[in-house]
Amino acid sequence: MTNSVFYRIGLPVLVGVVLVATWQLMSNFGMINEIMIPSPAAIVVGFSELVTRGYFWDSTWVTLQETLYGFAIGVSLGLIIGALTGTFQTFRTAFYPFVIAFQNTPRVALAPIFLTWFGFGITSKVVMAAVICFFPVVINTVAGMASVDDNAKMLFRTMGASKSQTFFRLTLPGASAIAFAGVKTALTLALLGAIVAEFVGGSVGLGVLIKELNFQLEVAKAFSVVLFLAVIGLVLYGLIELLERYLITWKQD
Amino acid sequence: MSTFSIASTTGETIRLAGVSKTYETASGPLPVLRDINLQVEAGEFISFVGPSGCGKSTLLKIIAGLVSYDTGTVEVGDQKPKAGREDIGFMLQQSVLMPWLNVSKNVELPFVIARRQDVSTSRRVEELLDLVGLSSVASLNSWELSGGMQQRVALARALALDPGIMLMDEPFSALDEFKREYLNIEVAQMADQLGKTTLLVTHSIGEAVLMSDRIIALGANPGRTVGDIAVDLERPRRADMIGTDQYQQICNEVRAALASDLAGETL
Ligand SMILES: Nc1ncnc2c1ncn2[C@@H]1O[C@H](COP(=O)(O)OP(=O)(O)O)[C@@H](O)[C@H]1O
Ligand SMILES: [Mg+2]
Repeated sequence: MTNSVFYRIGLPVLVGVVLVATWQLMSNFGMINEIMIPSPAAIVVGFSELVTRGYFWDSTWVTLQETLYGFAIGVSLGLIIGALTGTFQTFRTAFYPFVIAFQNTPRVALAPIFLTWFGFGITSKVVMAAVICFFPVVINTVAGMASVDDNAKMLFRTMGASKSQTFFRLTLPGASAIAFAGVKTALTLALLGAIVAEFVGGSVGLGVLIKELNFQLEVAKAFSVVLFLAVIGLVLYGLIELLERYLITWKQD
Repeated sequence: MSTFSIASTTGETIRLAGVSKTYETASGPLPVLRDINLQVEAGEFISFVGPSGCGKSTLLKIIAGLVSYDTGTVEVGDQKPKAGREDIGFMLQQSVLMPWLNVSKNVELPFVIARRQDVSTSRRVEELLDLVGLSSVASLNSWELSGGMQQRVALARALALDPGIMLMDEPFSALDEFKREYLNIEVAQMADQLGKTTLLVTHSIGEAVLMSDRIIALGANPGRTVGDIAVDLERPRRADMIGTDQYQQICNEVRAALASDLAGETL
């Protein structure tokens, strides 16, 4: 019973339907202030209007670009710095304390500064997204490299492996599963970074759109954009999970 | 799996004279081996037994060139020890298989590392898998195998480049007793027929007696030889030798040698 399709898919769907229906009914009976919390029906109507507008798709495209560029830059730098930190003890001793210190400060606080430095365009958002998703990648890469079995390293020595052979045939694959977990977190964070940076200052983007719709008291539409962002987040996460399944085919112990 | 029709280089000699080793640790110097003298003939099968921490693994690592030694001389096949020599195969308690490689790719790894892959490699890998009885699982993932089968893969990998010397550090310790005994016999017969010089570290006196030509008993703090016992059971070794009077008698000799060292200690 607990393994049936009904149980695993049907149950959450049922819960969702009941929640949305209750929400709609409470709106219909005036138990919820529609100005503050629009009904599901109003959100759907608002969204169907938005999708006919060019600026909605322009905003989506801009936010996606900021997210993906930021993700690509943050992850690349994170993997490189992580690999250096995991490989060279001196590098680790010199720089890793700063990584840890930065990891524990709220990095979104930098958004206004990036706005000053890089302006209202896409750059300040890309930088924010990159900075926010850099850290989990570094930290997971270092942790992944540290997790490589000492016995395996010894075995590679007995086989006469060169440094690069050990890196590419042992450390890299051995670290990849844990490092990739950081990359997955990074994708979610990149979207978050882009939206926060857009809130702080920007001319196009879904974050900008939410802010403007809010000012215009188009709350239903603002809600619909938030839900749309949730869908984008889920789709991106699904894609990266597919990539993970393709890259890391073995079982972790 | 009673005949081994695989090309094989015969064993090499190993000579240790006056070898000692002290590790520098945070809490000061830790002497682990003192004045080890050992002469291993080509093709000989030697086991080291002794309490935990008496330096057995260190001794194998010295011979493999993984760890330096402070005094004495070590000759492995007329050369100084050096890590990465192709004439040494190494096996550990854990099979240390790469989970991202399937079974035959794991066995192929030493060829890849030594940049010795050629047209004959895949046939050689097949032969090795056949030798250890794993032909049918060649394309499986290593984690799908039982512990015993994983150790067989590790054995095939250690034999891959046809080394003259096999160094085995408690390779059977993680296996259940039945599998262990079965593999003991197989490996003993294999080392015998392939003519490899084999050094085995084990915690099991019975296993040492069943497999070896000679057993070196080591005492602890620091590790040194306290017994050198010849095992004159006939070859090939068989499981039914366990429990015979001769077998028991040799076990007792080893036990006595180890006990003589522990006599002063409060247990
Ligand atoms: N790299 C090392 N540095 C410092 N001490 C070590 C090192 N390797 C082993 N030791 C210590 O040396 C002693 C002997 O270790 P080992 O050779 O592994 O013994 P055995 O294999 O007989 O159990 C142990 O006390 C161990 O803690
Ligand atoms: Mg040991």
